[in-house]
Amino acid sequence: MNKELEHSFVELLEKHQNIIHKVCRLYTNNYDAHNDLFQEITIQLWKAYPKFRGDSKFSTWMYRVGLNTAITLYRKSKRSISTQNFDGVEFKINAEDYDDTEEQQLKLLYKAVHNLNDIEKALVFLYLEDKDYREISETLGISEVNARVKMNRIKTKLKTVLNP
Amino acid sequence: MEGLDLLKKDWNRQQPEDKKLSVKDIYPMLHKKSSSIVKTLFYISVGELILWIIINSIPYLFSENYKAKLDHIYKSDYLLTSLTIFSYAVIVLFIYLLFKSHKAISVTDNAKTLMERILHTRKIIKYYVLYNLIMAGVSLALGFYYSLTKDPKFTNAIDNYSNNEFIFLIAKIIGVVIIFILVIWLFYKLIYGLLLKRLNRNYKELKTLEP
Repeated sequence: MNKELEHSFVELLEKHQNIIHKVCRLYTNNYDAHNDLFQEITIQLWKAYPKFRGDSKFSTWMYRVGLNTAITLYRKSKRSISTQNFDGVEFKINAEDYDDTEEQQLKLLYKAVHNLNDIEKALVFLYLEDKDYREISETLGISEVNARVKMNRIKTKLKTVLNP
Repeated sequence: MEGLDLLKKDWNRQQPEDKKLSVKDIYPMLHKKSSSIVKTLFYISVGELILWIIINSIPYLFSENYKAKLDHIYKSDYLLTSLTIFSYAVIVLFIYLLFKSHKAISVTDNAKTLMERILHTRKIIKYYVLYNLIMAGVSLALGFYYSLTKDPKFTNAIDNYSNNEFIFLIAKIIGVVIIFILVIWLFYKLIYGLLLKRLNRNYKELKTLEP
């Protein structure tokens, strides 16, 4: 692949790298795993880049490739296996942990999101990124109605985390 | 504000600046090795094709006696010749199907389609292995039949067997075949189980969303 293509790709990736970081943040729980997944997504994006047509936005395209890599293609490397948890905290919620402050609520919510399964995380991620249900359904390959139903279930699940 | 909306507000506020990579950091990443399951699956399928071709050719290549016998049978037997041509045609067909299904896997498809295409490729490999096992069974049965009817040494040996001994011989052959198939089956369960564990789990989850 020519240098020009490589250059344009790296420039675009550098500009939109936050999308990949956010995917990694959701799907990994330590620094090494984060970097590992980041690299795999970058490789997948680069491999697919020659076929990328400007008709969809680069960022929209990144969401799809990023999530596909995280939930389907990525095979955890030995390096990324670690017992250390995200932020060094246990993802367990006790009644004593419950606090009314927003900060505490957020902490609980992040923990709860980390405990969701891969598909639920993908839904939450796209929702948090302000994607509409059409885009969510197209990214995951499910119907819009089912995406909405599942999202409502997740919302309820997360609500109960705050009101156990 | 509660639940997910609270999270959304915070999510958009957060910028993981500490992980900001420069253009210089990204360049080397493009040339690193991928650890994607599709790549592993590709290697496995190529290995699979080669392995079974080798397994089928080893006796022919390394045993002069076997080669001479087989060549003799081939010259005189129409069935075996067509069976060999058929088995080569099947290998070519599998190579084509595998190549086609690997090509169809695209990371830019939606998640469900991507998973389905990977599973489809895995299915082709499964059928290839199944085909080889069946062919091994057929070859074994044919070999036994030919020895029984056309090999005087073998026929004489069998004639000296009592009924019980003959049944015992058949049981032994069947036992070995069963153990062989079981070992292969466990081996595949392990390889594909480990490789596609996550994919299978997520595919199942996506399927439950579409009743």
